[in-house]
Amino acid sequence: MALIEARGLTKEFRIFRRREGVMGAFRDLFQRDYTTLRAVDGIDFVVAEGEMVGYIGANGAGKSTTIKMLTGILVPTAGSVNVNGFIPYKEREKYTRGIGVVFGQRSQLWWDIAVIESFKLLRRIYNVSQEEFKARLKKFDDILEFGSFLHLPVRKLSLGQRMRCDLTAALLHNPAILFLDEPTIGLDVLGKAKIREFLKEINSESKTTVILTTHDLGDIEALCPRVAIIDKGKMLYDGSVDNLYAQWGHDKMEDIVKKIYEGCKPEQYCMIENWGDTHA
Amino acid sequence: MPDHDLPGRSRPVGFGNRFLLYLELVRMEFVNNLAYRSSYFTGIFNYTIQIGAYFFLWDAIYSGRRAIGGLNKEEMITYVIVAWVARSFYFSNLDRRVAVEIRDGKIALELIRPYSYQMVKYARASGEAFFRILFFAVPAGTVIYFIRPFGLPPDWQAGLLFLLAVIGGFVINSQISMIAGFCAFFTQSTSGIFRAKRVVMDLFSGLLLPISFYPGWARDIIKLFPFQTVSYMPNLIYLGKITGGAVLKVILLQLFWVAFLGLVSVLFWRFAVKHVVIQGG
Amino acid sequence: MSKQSGWRQDAANHIIIFFHYMAQYIKTKMAYRADFFIYAFSDLLQQSVNLIFILVIFTKVPAIKGWTRDQILFIYGFFLIPFGLYSGFLNHLFDVPEKYVLEGELDRVLLRPLNAWFQVVVETMNPELLIGTVTGIVIMVYSGNAMGLVPTWWDFPLTLVLVVGATMIYAGVYTFLASLGFWTEGNMGLMPMVYNLSNYGRYPMTIYRGPVRFILTWVLPFAFVGFYPAAILMHRYEYIGYALLTPIIGIISFAFSYWVWVIGIRRYRGTGS
Repeated sequence: MALIEARGLTKEFRIFRRREGVMGAFRDLFQRDYTTLRAVDGIDFVVAEGEMVGYIGANGAGKSTTIKMLTGILVPTAGSVNVNGFIPYKEREKYTRGIGVVFGQRSQLWWDIAVIESFKLLRRIYNVSQEEFKARLKKFDDILEFGSFLHLPVRKLSLGQRMRCDLTAALLHNPAILFLDEPTIGLDVLGKAKIREFLKEINSESKTTVILTTHDLGDIEALCPRVAIIDKGKMLYDGSVDNLYAQWGHDKMEDIVKKIYEGCKPEQYCMIENWGDTHA
Repeated sequence: MPDHDLPGRSRPVGFGNRFLLYLELVRMEFVNNLAYRSSYFTGIFNYTIQIGAYFFLWDAIYSGRRAIGGLNKEEMITYVIVAWVARSFYFSNLDRRVAVEIRDGKIALELIRPYSYQMVKYARASGEAFFRILFFAVPAGTVIYFIRPFGLPPDWQAGLLFLLAVIGGFVINSQISMIAGFCAFFTQSTSGIFRAKRVVMDLFSGLLLPISFYPGWARDIIKLFPFQTVSYMPNLIYLGKITGGAVLKVILLQLFWVAFLGLVSVLFWRFAVKHVVIQGG
Repeated sequence: MSKQSGWRQDAANHIIIFFHYMAQYIKTKMAYRADFFIYAFSDLLQQSVNLIFILVIFTKVPAIKGWTRDQILFIYGFFLIPFGLYSGFLNHLFDVPEKYVLEGELDRVLLRPLNAWFQVVVETMNPELLIGTVTGIVIMVYSGNAMGLVPTWWDFPLTLVLVVGATMIYAGVYTFLASLGFWTEGNMGLMPMVYNLSNYGRYPMTIYRGPVRFILTWVLPFAFVGFYPAAILMHRYEYIGYALLTPIIGIISFAFSYWVWVIGIRRYRGTGS
């Protein structure tokens, strides 16, 4: 069984329209007027342990919705999802012990308290032993270098500093999977480089599976051997990056992705179809 | 060549122009508030519940008694309702707004503009107050009147003078709020000061209790402050307890306080602006 | 990665975490010492207004519908005890519709391996407002003394039970209101109204007329957060039936509301975007 196995994953939303005027508001009380939006439409997504997968798509394409279903926040309308041996939305409290999540736009840390205190609180919540906690902090500090602002509250940190702390927080409990939502957004060149170096390290050394949602194709180029592209709820491509280069040349990732959006379908080389051969 | 033809020279703004600016601000604030009119709907219910509590309480307090503190039961009920309905209009959160601008450093921007910061704030507060009369005070008063009819002014003169006094109360209340807001220049913990101000106003403006209820020594102290001119005195005018020449005295007293508080706030402002390092944004 | 199992360990886990949040909170607030005290002090100011109101009234009348000054103060004192607990821990349930549902902060909560309601409560608590509880105890003791009330031995555990019951009523009512945020987008402004209604519990029910009294007893049971419990602690045993209902109503109120909360979360995860 793969670490992440989602089949036919679908999510529909009901968008309620507000009727105009006083009479409209009155009628709204009894019967709402709505349209159904299919944000994610029958996606298959299978990820093996230790993979680093990039996940890209335009805004509103269904990226965040997929991730929210994989992390257990949302319940799918149809399809099956199994991550790390759990059905994410079913056993939320148990399941979330094994994952780490970083949102680029919003911090998981407590705003007003020193970063180290946030870490300590998280250590308690995730039941990490004191020794392991110290060891991991030190290891992360070596690459991310947050020692100098460990005692500052999050609200006083720059974006780059905050991101490094959020990454650490997400990995303190050695989760099997790390979900990242735009981790390099708004960072300068050096900041991005540091984050990418860190992600490469934990993926290769700790075998942490990483799902990386991003708009920055540079992230994909630097980190992900595999990329999944979603548009309007449907998966346009899910396979190796090398395959894309092989078919369309080692130009800019950007142009390749644009081509795919415009409808060109590359020949799929799905890594997972051959999974059985090497992992039997 | 007249001054205003030279490039780069600042044009002196006439009083008339200044006045038009403030009028425009009043109108603007009124229109802005229109967007939030639905929240006033629940606000009216909220007020009714609040006033309801006092209604039951005073009804129980007066059971079997003729008059307390110079007011009989009907007068007291009317007093409470009028006091709260008037408050819905003169209520001010200038203190918080000013404090936020000082904290954010926006105040620095305001200093560059060619108008009086305080006058602008008052103009906007007036716009909002005007809105509140139409969409809050009047509907609330009407709703409550249908639930439990309360007394009306003895004659149209009392009614008019009452409105005049309430406007005076509004100005004084706004000034006090503004001055409280200026405390943000000197301290971070303004919430304590604002709470204290609210407490003092609630107790000594006549909102919660007619000042005649307090013991003599307390009344003598309260007399030294502007608070009772905000609610207590206007309410008595409404009830017809203050008539004729006494009303004139109330208005003059209010004018005195307006002038005094105006002076205090101007001095406070000048001092604060000169001596305090304004935190840049 | 450690795995927890069994509800006992789960509950113990939550309790431990609660104390860590508390410790964290205190550590943080100690850094802003002035703010901490000022916040508590300004709450005291607010209570003093209510106190002064009562005291001034009683300089003019000897009793309100048969209730003396010390009795009214006693009721107010008791009222403040669960009210302080509510202000300190449950006050910010009203943040749920805006901050957690509309702005999506709930996502962050759902990603952690802890009960969601618990997290919201523990993230937003203001334990310094427990000063209200302390004030309440002081007022109760003082006024009890003044009226010559001698507590029996069972008054003490009874007080505890009544306080817990009353606090559960607050928890129930405000959890229910917070849960409504899962259906309506954003605040409905109901909470300030209910909050104002809760203040009706500070006074004897005898001053309220029929329909109002009914609402305060059976719909939004605020009669049980102040008056009824206080009445039997004053040994007015004609109210004993009502007073003993307090913990039961507390349990029903909270159980029902928590159930609504759970359904609300399900809805958020089913149709949230």
